[in-house]
Amino acid sequence: MTLSAISVADMHCARCASKIEAALKNETGVLATFINPARRQVLIEHTESADPLRLLERIEQAGFHPLLSAQSTQSGAQQDLLKRLGVSGLAMMQVMMASLVLYSGHFIAVEDSYRRLFEITSLLFCIPVVCYAAMPFFTSALRSLRTGMNMDIPISVAILSAFFFSMYNTLADAGEVYYESVSMFTFLLLTARYVNDRLKTRFEVSNASLAALPAFGLVMRDGARARTALETIPVGSDLWVEEGNQVPLDGIVHAAGISLDESVLTGESAEVSKRPGDPVYAGTMNRGAGFEMRTTATFDRSRIAGITELADKAQSEKPRTAQIADRIAHYFVPGVLVLAALTWLVWHFVDPSQAFVAALTVLVVSCPCALSLATPATFTAAMTRLRQSGIVLTRSAVLEQITSIDAALLDKTGTLTIHAPRLRSIEVLAPERHTEAELIDLAAALQRHANHPLARAFPEPRAIRVDNVDVVTGAGVEGRFEGRQVRIGKGAFCGAAAGADDRAIYLSIDGLPVARFLVDDPVRPDAQAAINALRAAGITPTMVSGDAPERCRELADVLGIDYVARQTPETKLEIIRALKRQGARVLAVGDGINDIPALAAADISVTVLESSDLVRSKADVLLLNRRLGALIDLIQVGKRTRRVLRQNLSWSLGYNLVAVPLAAMGFMVPWVAAVGMASSSMLVMLNASRLLRTPAYQPTSALEG
Amino acid sequence: MEILVLLIPVSIVLMAIAGVMFVWAVNNDQFKQLERHGFDVLDDDSGEKE
Repeated sequence: MTLSAISVADMHCARCASKIEAALKNETGVLATFINPARRQVLIEHTESADPLRLLERIEQAGFHPLLSAQSTQSGAQQDLLKRLGVSGLAMMQVMMASLVLYSGHFIAVEDSYRRLFEITSLLFCIPVVCYAAMPFFTSALRSLRTGMNMDIPISVAILSAFFFSMYNTLADAGEVYYESVSMFTFLLLTARYVNDRLKTRFEVSNASLAALPAFGLVMRDGARARTALETIPVGSDLWVEEGNQVPLDGIVHAAGISLDESVLTGESAEVSKRPGDPVYAGTMNRGAGFEMRTTATFDRSRIAGITELADKAQSEKPRTAQIADRIAHYFVPGVLVLAALTWLVWHFVDPSQAFVAALTVLVVSCPCALSLATPATFTAAMTRLRQSGIVLTRSAVLEQITSIDAALLDKTGTLTIHAPRLRSIEVLAPERHTEAELIDLAAALQRHANHPLARAFPEPRAIRVDNVDVVTGAGVEGRFEGRQVRIGKGAFCGAAAGADDRAIYLSIDGLPVARFLVDDPVRPDAQAAINALRAAGITPTMVSGDAPERCRELADVLGIDYVARQTPETKLEIIRALKRQGARVLAVGDGINDIPALAAADISVTVLESSDLVRSKADVLLLNRRLGALIDLIQVGKRTRRVLRQNLSWSLGYNLVAVPLAAMGFMVPWVAAVGMASSSMLVMLNASRLLRTPAYQPTSALEG
Repeated sequence: MEILVLLIPVSIVLMAIAGVMFVWAVNNDQFKQLERHGFDVLDDDSGEKE
C-alpha cells in the first residue's frame, strides 16, 4: 500500500474535490482518496497495481491540471489572488467616487454631460475588474457547467449581467448603471476568498513548520563528520548533532545530559533532557552541547513526516456537518438562479423598469458563500488551535464526536503514568552469596533483552555477559551466566513461594530466588487534573490495565478512579463493546500494540507520540506533548467548535432567509446586497477564527507547585 | 467644473500606475512573509547570508 500526493493547482472548492474523488473512485488499486482543497492536494492510498500515470490522466479528464511537484504552486495561487484583490480594490475606490456624484444626481441637478463623463469613467475602471479581477469566478463557473454547478455560476451571472447591462445603458445613454455593485461585489468576494486562504495557510504553516528539516546531516565515519543529504542516510547511521541545530532524523541517543527543545512536536518550549537509549525525533532542537545519535528511521519514515501526512489527511476529510453544508450549497445554486429568474418575471409584469435590478439584487444577496465557507473555516481554525496544544487529529470528525463522549478508558502504563519506571527498592534474598550491586548488574543484563516497559527501570549493565538469552512471553527472561541458569520475571517463573508479591520482579539463579525488585512508574503530573476535568465534562474515566491488580489499586487509589486490572487486548475490546451496547460513546487512550483492538473499537481513540507506528496510524487523536491535559483542550475546543458551527450555519441560513425576500420585493439595491453578502461571509470567518483564541488548559499552579 | 475633463484622465493614469506598481510589488514577493522579516533584526547571521 502506498500513499501518493498529487497537487492540483486549479482545484478551489469542495465541488471540485468531489469531482476528482468521483473520477478516481473506480480505478483499479485505489483504496481511498483524500482531497485537501486547502493544499490543492490529492492524497491517494493505492496498492502496487495502480498505475500512477493513469490516475493523473483521470484527474485531467475530470477537467483539472494535476502536477507532480507539490510545493511551489500554493503560494503562487495566493499571490495571484492578492493581485486581483488589489486591482479590484483600486478600481472600486474610483468607481465609488464617481458613483457618489451619480447618486447625488438624485438630489441635486448634475449636468447631463458630467453624468455621462462619470458613467464612462466608471465603465473604464470596471473593465479591469471584470476582465482581470473577476476572471477566476468565470473560469470556475465555466468548468462547473460541465460537471455540476457551483456557486461561481450565480456570481458570474450577477457580475457579467450587471456589467453588460450598465455598459449598454452607458453607451446608449438609456438609464441606471450598476458599476459600483460590480466592482464592490468582486472586491468583497475576493476579500472573503483571500481571508479564507489566509486561515488555511495558517493551518498549513503550523503543519509545514513541522516538516521543515535541514537538508543535510553530519554522518560520523571513521571519526570524521561528513555532510550527507538526509534522504540518503540509511537506518543505523551514527550522526552528530551540533549545538543549536535541529535533530535531522529520528534516532536514539547514547550519552546522558542531552537537552532538547521539542516544541515543534509538543508546542511546549520547556527543554527535555534525554538519557542514554531515549528516542529523539527529527525536527527537535538541540539546546545543549553537541551529541551523537544513531538513526532509527529514514528521512521519509520519520515521525514528523508521518504526523504531517496524518494531519493533512484529516484536513482533507470532510466531517458530516461539512457534507451537509455542501449538499445545501449544492441545491442552493440552482435555487438561486430559479429565484432570480422568477423575480425578474414577476417584476416584469409589475414594473418592468425594476425587473433587472431586483433580479440582480437577489443574485448578489443570496450568494451562498457564507454557507459554504462556514464549516471548512470553522474546522480549519479548530485544528490550527489544537496544533498549538500539541494535538493532531487524523479524522476531523473527532471534533464533532468529542462533545458526546460518555466514558473514557485510560490505559495505565504510559498513559496515566509517564512510562519511565524507576527501581524503587531491592531486597537481596541470599545476602551471603551475592552483593546488591552484582545482582542489579545481572538483572540489568537480562532485562536488556526484555521488551517489557518495566525493564527500562534497570540501569545500563556493566561488563557482564549473559548467553543463550530467551524471552518467555508473559513470564520473564531466561539466560546463562557463568554456566548457571538465571531468570528474571514473575515470582512463579523464578521459583518464588506461592502467594508472592504480585508487583515484584524476581531474579533467580538455578531456580532459587536471590533478589526481589520493586519497580514503580511515576504518575503523570497532570493525570489527576485531567481525570477531574473529564468528570467535570460528564465523562466517566476508568483505568484499564493489563497489569497486576495490586499495582492498579495503588494508582487508582491515588487518582480516585475506578479500575479493571489484568486485561488482555480481547477483554479490553469486550469492555468497550459492552459500554457501546449500553449506548455509551467511548473514548480510549492507549499507547501499546495490545491496545489496538480497543482503540479501533472506541468511538474516539487517542494515543501519545511515544506509541508505536502501528498504534499511531490507527488512532484518531495524537497527543504530541506528554500531557493528559491536552485531552481537556480537545474537549474544550470540540465544544466551542460545535457552538461556532451552529452559530455559523444558523447565521448564514437565517441571513439568506431574511435577505432574499427583501431583495426580491425590491427593498434593497445591489450594492447594499453586495455589502450584506460579503459581511455575512466575513462574519462567519471571524467567528471561526475565534476558535484560534480558545484559552489553553492550565493545570492549577497551586497543585503543580 | 471643466477642470474635471482634465482631472479625470489624470486620475485614470495615476490609478493605472498604482495598479502596475502594486502588481510589480506582489510579483517581487513584497507581500510574502509579512511577519518574518520583523525578526531579522534579532538575527545576527542573516545579514551575512543575504
